[in-house]
Amino acid sequence: MLLSLLTKRYPGMRAWLTQRLTGLLMAIYSVILLVLVLVYTPSTYADWLKFSQPLWWRFATWLFWICLSIHAWLGVRDVLKDYVPHEQIRMVLLKLVVIVLWLYMIWITVLLWNL
Amino acid sequence: MRRVCNRAITKMDIKNNSKMSQAKKNRPKNLNLFTIRMPINALVSILHRVTGCALFLALPLLLLTFQMSVSSAEHFLTVKELLNSPFSKLMLLGLAWAFFHHFFAGIRHLAMDVHWATTLIKARYTSKMVFVLGGIATLLLAVSWVL
Repeated sequence: MLLSLLTKRYPGMRAWLTQRLTGLLMAIYSVILLVLVLVYTPSTYADWLKFSQPLWWRFATWLFWICLSIHAWLGVRDVLKDYVPHEQIRMVLLKLVVIVLWLYMIWITVLLWNL
Repeated sequence: MRRVCNRAITKMDIKNNSKMSQAKKNRPKNLNLFTIRMPINALVSILHRVTGCALFLALPLLLLTFQMSVSSAEHFLTVKELLNSPFSKLMLLGLAWAFFHHFFAGIRHLAMDVHWATTLIKARYTSKMVFVLGGIATLLLAVSWVL
């Protein structure tokens, strides 16, 4: 039933499901991160590096940020569609959001790569 | 003959359309949020949006803080000091609440998407739970700083 609606004919259904899946993945990551921080409580620079340098953590954080970008894009897009009735202003804002999200993605990728 | 008929209809349509758009313009708009009584479900919903926007706007700060914290030992200490000031702690608490509210309201959304707790009574109950859990989580964070 759900799968049959996930075609190109219903882009809203795809957006809806993507929003949920990315949200769920981020929720799982957030809980794990919170528990790890509470358990290890990295309070010195050396501890902090040791905490964030493992490859799996960096990869998980990178995946988290991809989810975040998609999730934020869909969310902010809906908000702008609802509250900015002027089409040209909305278009500019939407493009700005896309650019900003890409810049963040590049930023976090460089940071994680160089850890 | 047919042509004439079509033309007549088109003219009528245009007239009707302009009448309709006039009527649309005269419709009362009641989007003043302060005149609308918001049930708790609506409050959770609008705050889900507001907190989402707030978290989006906080992303550059988050990235900047992370960058500083991993760049060097001195910068790490600077971040620690900066985050220790009362002002930034207040900001952080606000952001933490925004995160927790968005988190729990999101889980509520997921539950409702699988048709769990969709009756009005249950939805009101889960709305209250979102506020309670978000408040408790933020409070725990605040307490952990004092201790």
